[in-house]
Amino acid sequence: MVKPASGEYVIDLDLVSKTYKGDVQALREVSMRVHRGEIFGLLGPNGAGKSTLVKVLLTIVRPTKCSGGMLGEPVGHKPTLARVGYLPEHLRFPDYLTGEQAVDYFGALAGTPRRRRRENTDRLLALVGMEAWRKKKIKGYSKGMKQRIGIAQALMNDPDIVFLDEPTDGVDPVGRRDIRNLIVALRDEGKTVFVNSHLLSELEMVSDRVAILVQGVVAKQGTIDELTSDQRRYEIGCTPAPGSNLLQSLRAVLPARFEPTPEGETPTRLVGALNNTGESIEVLPMGLITIGSADPERAQPVIDALRGAGATIRFVRPHRPSLEDLFMQAVTDPETGEALLPGAADQKKKPSRPASAGGRS
Amino acid sequence: MIQTLAIFVDAYRALNARKLFWIALILSGVVVLAFAAVGINEEGLSFFGWQTSLPPNTAIFPAELFYKTMFLTLGVNFWIAWIATILALVTTAGIIPDLVTEGSVDLTLSKPIGRVRLFLTKYISGLLFVALQISVFSAASFLVLGLRGGVWVPAVFIAIPMVILFFSYLFCVCALLGLLTKSTVASLLLTLLFWFAIFGVHTTESILLWTKVSQEQRIIAIQDDIERREQELERMRQGDGRGIGAGVMDAVRLPGRERALERQRERLVEREETARTWRRVHMGAFAVKTVLPKTSETIGLIERWLIDLAELPDMQEPPQPILPEEITEDAEDVEFMDPALQENVTREIQERIRERSVAWIIGTSLVFQAGVLGIACLIFRRRDF
Repeated sequence: MVKPASGEYVIDLDLVSKTYKGDVQALREVSMRVHRGEIFGLLGPNGAGKSTLVKVLLTIVRPTKCSGGMLGEPVGHKPTLARVGYLPEHLRFPDYLTGEQAVDYFGALAGTPRRRRRENTDRLLALVGMEAWRKKKIKGYSKGMKQRIGIAQALMNDPDIVFLDEPTDGVDPVGRRDIRNLIVALRDEGKTVFVNSHLLSELEMVSDRVAILVQGVVAKQGTIDELTSDQRRYEIGCTPAPGSNLLQSLRAVLPARFEPTPEGETPTRLVGALNNTGESIEVLPMGLITIGSADPERAQPVIDALRGAGATIRFVRPHRPSLEDLFMQAVTDPETGEALLPGAADQKKKPSRPASAGGRS
Repeated sequence: MIQTLAIFVDAYRALNARKLFWIALILSGVVVLAFAAVGINEEGLSFFGWQTSLPPNTAIFPAELFYKTMFLTLGVNFWIAWIATILALVTTAGIIPDLVTEGSVDLTLSKPIGRVRLFLTKYISGLLFVALQISVFSAASFLVLGLRGGVWVPAVFIAIPMVILFFSYLFCVCALLGLLTKSTVASLLLTLLFWFAIFGVHTTESILLWTKVSQEQRIIAIQDDIERREQELERMRQGDGRGIGAGVMDAVRLPGRERALERQRERLVEREETARTWRRVHMGAFAVKTVLPKTSETIGLIERWLIDLAELPDMQEPPQPILPEEITEDAEDVEFMDPALQENVTREIQERIRERSVAWIIGTSLVFQAGVLGIACLIFRRRDF
């Protein structure tokens, strides 16, 4: 019954839109591809449409417009869901079930035969660390324990792709680490893991590729390396020779053309371009020099010049923006500098910022 | 099949976890014990083996009929069709609201099971409650009636499908309301209100039927009276060979009898006009009733199949004459509260109700149920969660 998905992508969506009653545009022409066997992180502020997108894929929400599909079948094809696992946000199990019964029940709903359910129940409850609690009623569980049972039930049918919506919600730090390790282990088994999360640092640790959804539109999509390639730079920390004014002395010694400071004003920073390569350079008063290149060669003339001027070099380090930086860029209006409004309810037009990294990859 | 079975097992677990299920089952046992406590013989009733001379006795009421009547009135009409049904609704009203709760519905809908199938399976799982209750109750009643009363009545098992049907009419409304409101309390209260409304329509239709039949019986009585008077007048005009004296008397009485006949004819016209009005009003109520589920009639089918009208002592007597058999000088009217009229009307109504076909009672109710479930499935299929 279970067949492998054809092609490279397990999810291949084109122009998915969802408009709720009241003209609330939750998703606007979202295109997205998820590769087989990768951990894909979907992030975005509250109300960006992350859960709606997952729900469209899982037939919980009917798209207004949708082409493409999942595991080689069009979106909405129910039998495909036998190959999919899902941990919803705000998971609620019936209180009268024990952990073991809940895992078995949802495994059965996924169409898993009884014998396989029995085998998987033992294995998965051990995997999520809930073996000791398997006979206890769920009403006595903590939020984190319910989350663990939720993950176990999502894996009962040995799915090709697992959707985890806020998997670490309510889980303690140890549990979070366990879940991260589990996600990586699933990827190593060849499964595709699709994670929705607010916790950027956690996603950054495990995701192979990410997409940032803002107001129902994919603002950025790609590997973290791809998304940060044009924003990598070198940072040099220095202390000028005693008795010299930092910005004035650096303006004099650095091999760069700086924008002139208006007459009568004291410069607060220097901005310019390196003489030879034209790379951007910025100098801040506390002695932080930033060169807009990931190539260490470009930093050498600056270091040489600083040494020649008797400055003390405190550090030289490559700098890559974090996922949080990317996220904040994506959710900040470039015109106003303000965070974009959460949700997509009042947004009648697309955000002005085009999707970087191609919007799809 | 794996999924359907899982939903049924889950429904059983849910019922098992709710104390009401067990309370209802225990109360069912108490009702059955009440049957066991009561006995009847030629001397009268007995309670827990204590013989009394209280009526009825088997001379008036055969033992089998007594036990069947007790099963119907106490067991079915009072316990199953009222108290146990309310308990069943309280227990099962949460099935659909629980299904559509956030965090639960998305997980369930993410499984490879069609929405319509999921909804209908959940709906049927709700009927399991009543199916279990009535099955246990019928089996226990069958045994108690046989062992205690010495009458083995397999027909009591007809109560199982009938009570499930009866409950399904209400539960489909409860399921639809649960889907719309997502609230157990709201769906329960609104379903009870709906049930009350059905009961109101049923009662209204019954009263109108009673009034209509009363009018028809009064017309029949007047028509009979007119026919008799016409025959008598004919006899009086022809002299009828009864002698001169009688002929003179007839000649004296003739004008009065003719006036009385005329008054009866006028009365007949009035009565027919009134009856037409009541017939129209009743037809309206009947039309409303036709589109609604027939809860009372469905339960009434158990009685119809369990007890033959001919078995009832008072049904073995012929219809009573309403107007006096002797023709009087004045034109008699039929009193509305006349006991003979009441008796005939009751008999006529019982027959008419029994004449209502099973296809009409169950068929129209199932059409209603199919409509409600169809709307619910359509909503559930199209809704975003």
